[in-house]
Amino acid sequence: MKRLILEMGTGNDLYGEDYTKAARRAVQDALHHSSLVLFRSLDLPHEAMQVNVTIGVQEPDKVDADAVAATLPRGQAKVTVVKGGLNVVDTDNDTVSVIATAAVEACYDIRAEDWQLS
Amino acid sequence: MAKKRVAMELGMGTSLRRQDYTKAAVRALQDALWHNSLTMADAFGFSREDMIVEVDIAVQKPEQVDIETVKAVLPYGQPHIRVVHGGLDIAKPQKPGADPADTDKTVIANAAVNVYFDMEPASGRTGDMI
Repeated sequence: MKRLILEMGTGNDLYGEDYTKAARRAVQDALHHSSLVLFRSLDLPHEAMQVNVTIGVQEPDKVDADAVAATLPRGQAKVTVVKGGLNVVDTDNDTVSVIATAAVEACYDIRAEDWQLS
Repeated sequence: MAKKRVAMELGMGTSLRRQDYTKAAVRALQDALWHNSLTMADAFGFSREDMIVEVDIAVQKPEQVDIETVKAVLPYGQPHIRVVHGGLDIAKPQKPGADPADTDKTVIANAAVNVYFDMEPASGRTGDMI
């Protein structure tokens, strides 16, 4: 498996302290800044793509990794959650804003010997 | 002709205070590029310099975008910059007592980066790849 791209994004849940929602938004942000056109251009089957998602939030236990995995449109997804991201605490108003960071790696078994420059 | 599009990257940039269309374009391009790390050249065994990088910038005043400044953002590859009418300008709220003809704007630029390789199936494998 070779990595084709690393896509990065952030998402937040400003008032609900919903870590899964912040994580899903981070993944969407990461995904929708790019498009892996090569699957169409080179007629590759995208089911064979491995998608490694790493989510960083301050409270990793509160992320439903399966729910995040279900939002990925293509490929075989694996979601890992680690401590990271950022919580912004407003003590005046007793609110916590949850910020999640997402890194999405798309990997595919490209055989370099099958391709050459024209 | 074997120019194959392998990736597209999208971004948005703004100029909040100075109506600087070039700055907005540069930020849009940076937003598009720095949300992703493309490792396709390595995956295919090509050089990064083999990448053909076609950048589309869209702003409301395309003639005000300095193409060389935009081009300088790209770290590698063979750049082609095209600027078209698009993006979005939004008038700022009128300051009290200001001449209504003073129409300061917030400038928003869109950027799309299309990445290509001039590539084909390796010779000897052409038959079973097409």
